[in-house]
Amino acid sequence: MRWLLSFLLLGLLSVVHAVSSSGNKLLVVLEELADKAKYSKYLADLESRGFKTTIESPKAEKLALFELGERAYEHLLLLPAQSKGLGPNLTPKLLLDFINAGGNILLTLDSAHPTPSGLVSLLLELDIHLPTDRNALVVDHFNFDKLSAAEKHDVVLVPRPDALRPDVKNFFKGDGKGGEVIAFPRGVGQTLGNTSPLLTPILRAPRTAYSYNPKDDVEGVEDPFAVGTQLSLITTMQARNSARFTVIGAAEMLEDAWFDAKVKRSVGMGGVGSDAKEVKTANQAFVKEVTGWTFNEIGVLKVGKIEHHLNEGGAKSNITNPKIYRVKNDVTYNIELSEYSWDHWEPFTPPAGDVVQLEFSMLSPFHRLPLKVATTTKNSTIYTASFKLPDQHGIFNFKVNYKRPFFSNVEEKNTVTVRHFAHDEWPRSWVISGAWPWISGIAVTVTGWVAFVALWLWSKPVPLKLSTSGKKI
Amino acid sequence: MAPKRNAREPTPSSVATTQSSTTAAGSVPIPSKASYKSSSNQSPQQIALGIWQNYLDTTPQRTKLIDVFMAFLVVVGGLQFLYCVIAGNYPFNAFLSGFSATVGQFVLTASLRIQTNAENKADFGEVSPERAFADYVFGSLILHFFCVNFIN
Repeated sequence: MRWLLSFLLLGLLSVVHAVSSSGNKLLVVLEELADKAKYSKYLADLESRGFKTTIESPKAEKLALFELGERAYEHLLLLPAQSKGLGPNLTPKLLLDFINAGGNILLTLDSAHPTPSGLVSLLLELDIHLPTDRNALVVDHFNFDKLSAAEKHDVVLVPRPDALRPDVKNFFKGDGKGGEVIAFPRGVGQTLGNTSPLLTPILRAPRTAYSYNPKDDVEGVEDPFAVGTQLSLITTMQARNSARFTVIGAAEMLEDAWFDAKVKRSVGMGGVGSDAKEVKTANQAFVKEVTGWTFNEIGVLKVGKIEHHLNEGGAKSNITNPKIYRVKNDVTYNIELSEYSWDHWEPFTPPAGDVVQLEFSMLSPFHRLPLKVATTTKNSTIYTASFKLPDQHGIFNFKVNYKRPFFSNVEEKNTVTVRHFAHDEWPRSWVISGAWPWISGIAVTVTGWVAFVALWLWSKPVPLKLSTSGKKI
Repeated sequence: MAPKRNAREPTPSSVATTQSSTTAAGSVPIPSKASYKSSSNQSPQQIALGIWQNYLDTTPQRTKLIDVFMAFLVVVGGLQFLYCVIAGNYPFNAFLSGFSATVGQFVLTASLRIQTNAENKADFGEVSPERAFADYVFGSLILHFFCVNFIN
């Protein structure tokens, strides 16, 4: 009976955790509750994926990211607000504390509503820069939507993004067939600082886009904020604790209107798209991927069992994870890695061209070895590496340091002592052929000595008389 | 020709010393004196031969035995050192123990030679040759034990 109950409990637990890998409490900050209708499809999507949404106005008294010093929510969605500030409950410091405590934030910007200065300074702190003109938006005279922005050219149509690098997994490519179009209506472009390794753009503007303030009544745009692929339309920042922060430049992307809008692209550079047809936007699927990534539904890595053991002469030792090894021991290291994909853990495989590596390090790595797939279980891959420990004693770490864009950080350290040879572990001299001449040297000396002693004892002593006479000479 | 004869002459007497050690003792110094005197007009080869002959004549048999053993040790030690120079000193402890076995044995044997030499009787009055030999055997056994232990 009891086991039945525990199974039931386990089943309930798995139902509860069938959403994001890090929890399902989501706070949506929305100023006008009436605006909720605009995002109804998006919010319904979130709820269907298991999120428990709490919708609050930034001005609400009871709005608090922390409760009794603990995070009250796992995720935070900030929709654009009419007012100039976000109020005392959502100061940049509180938001940073939320990230430091492991919370995920999805921030949306909108050119119609100037970004509150608190958020601008928060973004600045993360090395994400917004245009100085509060009303600036991204326009493109070659990749706009003919149906909705034939005059203003401010609805930019972008294809699904390519992988950042060939060896980085592309979570945002959809079904990968291509031809899908994302509408980016009246959004704010961002530029990224060069120095932060935590920043990764998901979606960049097309080559011909630029940031521009429609309220300026000048004919040509001079000295724009940023142009072309400098402009990042959707930016992500993954903190060292794997908390995720995403900036979507256009909040309108999440609106129902753009989920099922039809768009027709303009004629681009070199006559591209001159025969374009009306197509439905891919916003709904794309926004789901961006949101899912931000709220830890995809791209989350989990380390399962880590095991290392002695492997002398191919014979596995029964002692796992010993605290001490000897120099030049043969050792095998195993690590179990899983990747979360929407609602389940699955075996993790690095993208083609990438490899998980094991470092055996004391201050600096003595070995950096590729980890090979040993076995795959239903929801994890076990990676293994076998190697000979270096001829150096000291305190070493087995270290797996796998930090890649869009994957949560894996940094695992297991400390072991590596001792030197004990006095009886050295090879005996007769095993080393180089020592044979010296062994025989000792043998010859000893036998010579025995022969000498025998002769000495056997021979008769010479009388002293001779030597006394010899002394006289 | 005369010096040659001089050099040749002692041979039978030296044989006599070994065979009848007591009688020949008096006759030994004479040929050696002669060889010293005649050295002024002799070739180096003859001088060396003379010294050798002198050594053969005046050295007691047991001291000669010691000398042969010491020469043997020098050869064995030299060969080991040569091997180390040519082939490298990889198991260095093996080289050390092999080489130092010969060196140590050489030193011990040299001490035995000093202590049993009748000419040094005045210095080692209280050490009889038997006592010196017992010390020598004891010291050598310790040396061998250490060397075999150290070569592992």
